[in-house]
Amino acid sequence: MLTVEKVSKEIDGKKIVNHVSFQIKQGECVGIIGPNGAGKSTIVSLISGLEKPTGGEISLSNRPISSWGVKKLAQQMAVLTQDGLNPYPISVFDAVLMGRYPHLSFFQREGKKDYDKVEEVLETVGLTDLKDQMLDTLSGGERQRVAIAKAMVQEPSLLILDEPTTFLDIGYQLNILSIVKDWQRKDDLTILMVLHDLNLAAQFCDRLILMDEGEIVKIGSSEEILQEDLLSKVYHTKPEIVRHPKWDIPQILLHYE
Amino acid sequence: MSKKLFQRDRMLWLWIPIFLIILLIVMSVSVSLGAASVDWKTVWKIVFSKIPYVGDWVTADWSDSAETIIWDIRFPRVVLGAIVGAALALAGAIYQGVLRNPLADPYILGVSSGASFGAALVIVFGWQLFGVGRFTLPAVAFIFGFTTLMIVYLLARVQNKVRLETIILAGVVVQAFIGACLSLILALSNEQLQTIIFWMMGSLSLTDWSYTAVVFPIVIVGAILSLFFIKDINMLGLGEEVAHHSGVSVQRTRFLLLILASVITGAAVSVSGAIGFVGLVVPHIIRLLFGSNYRMILPLSIIGGAIFLVGADAVARTILAPRELPLGIITAFLGAPFFGYLLRRAKREYF
Repeated sequence: MLTVEKVSKEIDGKKIVNHVSFQIKQGECVGIIGPNGAGKSTIVSLISGLEKPTGGEISLSNRPISSWGVKKLAQQMAVLTQDGLNPYPISVFDAVLMGRYPHLSFFQREGKKDYDKVEEVLETVGLTDLKDQMLDTLSGGERQRVAIAKAMVQEPSLLILDEPTTFLDIGYQLNILSIVKDWQRKDDLTILMVLHDLNLAAQFCDRLILMDEGEIVKIGSSEEILQEDLLSKVYHTKPEIVRHPKWDIPQILLHYE
Repeated sequence: MSKKLFQRDRMLWLWIPIFLIILLIVMSVSVSLGAASVDWKTVWKIVFSKIPYVGDWVTADWSDSAETIIWDIRFPRVVLGAIVGAALALAGAIYQGVLRNPLADPYILGVSSGASFGAALVIVFGWQLFGVGRFTLPAVAFIFGFTTLMIVYLLARVQNKVRLETIILAGVVVQAFIGACLSLILALSNEQLQTIIFWMMGSLSLTDWSYTAVVFPIVIVGAILSLFFIKDINMLGLGEEVAHHSGVSVQRTRFLLLILASVITGAAVSVSGAIGFVGLVVPHIIRLLFGSNYRMILPLSIIGGAIFLVGADAVARTILAPRELPLGIITAFLGAPFFGYLLRRAKREYF
């Protein structure tokens, strides 16, 4: 589905991303983790076409990203960033409706099909009651749900999330991720997400990519990645690895020394 | 006011007719005002008599002088006022949306300074361009205005990308330079000084139908084109990255919209001078009343701008009659306090 091959990004002679290669299969959920400045967000910008790599190639469905065109690409790929949508005084309904943009031609207006899709998605993510509210009156968590709804009406086959839960409380963190998970199950969606929270990453991702200083340290399951020596090398701190009492997957605990 | 009254675009079809009716009322009042008073019924009879086929049904029970005053003097002026007002408000709305800056108006990227400079040159040197005759001034003003925009855009371009902060700064820089050129010409000119200053303050006097015929097609085509960009302008409002991820070619769309808004501005400024405040205030008033969806803002700004400028021109003509005040003074006098009032009433951020 998505192939990243020997991709590098250099800014002012500094290698932000260096020779990164990985593949994601259809329907898979892959998480990118790593410390600040590891190049995680840059990878996202490169895949979404916001920036161009200085070396290597990224292809989606066996076609290089650069040959897709912005609009065609948006039909295949939706991106959710950490700050989501601007708190712009526009109604929730209208904001979500904008997700239909890549499916409309320049001369075309949104029609009944688009309105129905928006209503359906608002119902799915539980925003129906808020649909006439203005975006700037919503909380960060609600606005992030609007951003997800907007991504949903875009009907992509690949969803990219760049630290979607950074500014949210634990309730909303789980809420956002479970909406995404349900969507994945329903539509066989492929997901690539950058996460800061290693515990959530272990719970929600099939595979993890651990990055440090622009390079991939290791790719593997949460069992393989959440290892004490590996994490302490990358994060320069020694976490305690425990088992999740309910799901039997590795989780980390931090302790102050 | 803190809760927007009308948000969905189906409300648009309620508000467009209301705005159009207000515009018609303001226009007919404005036409009937003046030294020779003509009642509005006669005004409309004269107007209808000029429409092919419909005119046959109207019996002419008015004097020839009334017809001349209404049809040849006042009506072209009111119609031009409506077109210029619509153009400036539309261009202002586009600039504000694209530049994501509440202070943006049609002149922020230097189109009007360039046009004023061109106009001043024409007035001082008495140029006559071959083939355009008395349209030399508007033609030169238009070309200078447009060239200024291109200079600003090229200045702001770094590695094929134009950032918003850079383009606004480039606009300020270029405006300062052209402003100096303009001041130099003003300082060196003698008897033309007043003509130039009056032109710069904006006026709809000295118009006849030929000016309308030149500007109208540009503005109407520009307006129709801009309506197709509503989806894109809305998207730019959600943030540059969000727009990109949703399929908007941000750089290209922005460039096209700035060109479009500047052509519209240039057309308006070239015939009426740099009338201030319309392009800044009208889109803001619409935004305060109807929310930030450009589905509402664009069409209602177009009609709202026409209403505002026709009204302002009526005041400019009559308040100190027979003396006529520059239109720019009236638009600021009317617009600023009303805008201030709305700002005070809006309880939260609205841009």
